[in-house]
Amino acid sequence: MQITGQLTLTVLMGLFLVIIAAWLARIEDWRSYTPLGSGGAAGESGYVSQEKPTGISRWLTTVDHKDIGMLYGAYGVLAFVVGGLMIMVMRVELLDPGMTLISNSFYNSLLTSHGITMLFLFGTPIIAAFANYLVPLLIGADDMAFPRINAIAFWLLPPGALLIWAGFFPLGDIIPAQTAWTLYTPLSTGAGGGNQANAGVDLMILGLHLTGVSATMGSINFIATIITERAEEVTWANLDIFSWTILTQSGLILFAFPLLGSALLMLLLDRNLGTSFFAIEAGGTMLWQHLFWFFGHPEVYILVLPPMGIVSYVLPRFAGRRLFGFKFVVYSTLAIGVLSFGVWAHHMFATGMDPRLRASFMAVSMAIAIPSAVKTFNWITTLWNGKVRLTTPMLFCVGFVSNFILGGVTGVFLASIPVDLVLHDTYYVVGHFHYVVMGAIAFAGFAGLYYWFPMFTGRMYQRRLGKIHFWTWMIGSNITFLAMIVLGYGGMPRRYATYLPKFATFHQLATLGALLMFVGGLVWTYNFVVSWLEGPRVQDGDPWNLRDDGMYTNEWQWFQDRQETAITDGGDEDVVADGGTEE
Amino acid sequence: MDEQPGLSDQYRMASPWPLFVALGIPIAELGILFDVFVVAVAGLLLFCGSLTGMIREAGYAETAWRPLAVFAVLLFAVGGVLAFTDVSLVTRGYAILTAGGILAAAGIGGELFVPKRDPV
Ligand code: HEM
Ligand SMILES: [Cu+2]
Repeated sequence: MQITGQLTLTVLMGLFLVIIAAWLARIEDWRSYTPLGSGGAAGESGYVSQEKPTGISRWLTTVDHKDIGMLYGAYGVLAFVVGGLMIMVMRVELLDPGMTLISNSFYNSLLTSHGITMLFLFGTPIIAAFANYLVPLLIGADDMAFPRINAIAFWLLPPGALLIWAGFFPLGDIIPAQTAWTLYTPLSTGAGGGNQANAGVDLMILGLHLTGVSATMGSINFIATIITERAEEVTWANLDIFSWTILTQSGLILFAFPLLGSALLMLLLDRNLGTSFFAIEAGGTMLWQHLFWFFGHPEVYILVLPPMGIVSYVLPRFAGRRLFGFKFVVYSTLAIGVLSFGVWAHHMFATGMDPRLRASFMAVSMAIAIPSAVKTFNWITTLWNGKVRLTTPMLFCVGFVSNFILGGVTGVFLASIPVDLVLHDTYYVVGHFHYVVMGAIAFAGFAGLYYWFPMFTGRMYQRRLGKIHFWTWMIGSNITFLAMIVLGYGGMPRRYATYLPKFATFHQLATLGALLMFVGGLVWTYNFVVSWLEGPRVQDGDPWNLRDDGMYTNEWQWFQDRQETAITDGGDEDVVADGGTEE
Repeated sequence: MDEQPGLSDQYRMASPWPLFVALGIPIAELGILFDVFVVAVAGLLLFCGSLTGMIREAGYAETAWRPLAVFAVLLFAVGGVLAFTDVSLVTRGYAILTAGGILAAAGIGGELFVPKRDPV
């Protein structure tokens, strides 16, 4: 039995490699030349093949930044749908304290997976989608500095997702992790009598590790691209705000993610190979929290800075004025980037750490609110007396500002030790960060998706449906997350599948809001799918009439050039070629 | 920006290697972590092989043989440490050594027996 098992595995693996080799041989066939040295930098030599292969091969082999941007986008959106469906099951379970739709342990599994999916499989990739597509266009580069590494970074993500979700697939005794996204030890080392020694947790950690490697590769690429590949006319002084936030974010990734990777490897070694980095007696519990949050707090800024960049970029276009205090928005971005490494222990106020240290972390956490507020005031002042046009992307931008204020202010309260000791581990914290991650980050993501939809697809979405989507989400998110804040004040602890009857009303409200967002999500899906397939074609390179206000930008110019050449070629088909309709 | 906008779709870039570099990493990791000999070997071969392909494609090396040999040396070093020192992860070490051996055989064999192509 053992032997045959080994044998089949060997044969399978051998076959796998042979198939890959055969496919590669075919692919190599359409290369009619011997590549010359390119040093990996951009240019039309080296990695260039004669032409893009067609069909599925095109998507599997592309190293074009726009294609990879589309792949990241598709991936991020898919992960968002998965994470969203997970939370809908959980919110239904929370409709009533006695509800038994799912078991408590399944609730914990969904909770863990929802958090990780949204942060690592939706948040980071959707930002990378915009960055890949737009940064080279904005700074006038031919492509990313390292196009192949760009592709590797993307292709690490699908295996990462499969590993993270592996516990949900019917694979023998493998069960999903129930550690929550923070993976606190000793639970996550598998110690004690629980079931978290299961291989499902190892798979999830491996998957997380892969997404970390992917993010790190991507960040190196963006730093190199923005520093070295700018066109001559793009200087540091006139670099656009979105590229600035991507540059800062990449810097944060470069320092934060390798640390997460190492901590995860240590955890894996503890779990599988008998090391004792996180042994309880040696203070391992605190060690994990320090390592995790040294990564974890910068991670939240990794997620929020580029969306802030999108808002700073899009909002002025519909206010008819330039971004107010551009320089200060850049400075505050950099300030947040630096400060974000000095606040991590505000997640650990309740652990019994040294009170003097605690106070210093409180001070820095409060200080980081200042640059955040600078940005907020700049957005508001940009709107002030502007010629505001409430298009769907603009609505999402304004929604972002509103939700970010609520998320930020609740954050400042949490940064105060005495307040945090009362509210820590309650729904208040859940409300706080959902205002930021859903209310702000996701809103900015959708602002970007709507704003550049005509460019990505060559077609226009249905405006009315876009507005319905916005309002269901704006109202829904505020119902849900405000209810959570109230639940937190009442003392409802986070991460439970059930609760005391006195909390029922507000949990039901939270579910109501979630259902509203679910409906909005359906409207959005319908709108994007149908508009992509048969929406009206965009006729010129300025679908938002930005020229009227003198707000026209590089990426639309590129879009217009491409459209014009497509038309002179007589090729109606070519208009959407890069939009990737031909999967 | 786009100097030749009209031609942009004819002169696009593609490379088959990144996908397999990315697949090789998790397969090798899984094999090594869970101590599954063949999976570890296959993953390492895929990873190192695809990297070699990429290195050659980018023009850093003329043929695949030398990069393969370099990877073999690296794998020998890591595998050796795992198998023969106090780390004492013997089976995992042997898996890595095996992958190294196959790469070395390919590299040396290729260098010795495959006729050199004229550079184009
Ligand atoms: C104005 C600046 C902010 C301050 C002062 C702040 C402060 C805090 C504090 C003190 C906590 C810990 C609460 C506790 O567990 O007792 C916390 C939790 C959290 N914050 Fe913020 N925050 C800010 C902005 C943000 C932003 C911009 C994001 C997201 C992009 C964010 C995401 C989170 C998350 C995810 C958690 C919960 C982590 C967990 O325990 O699972 N925060 N915040
Ligand atoms: Cu924090």
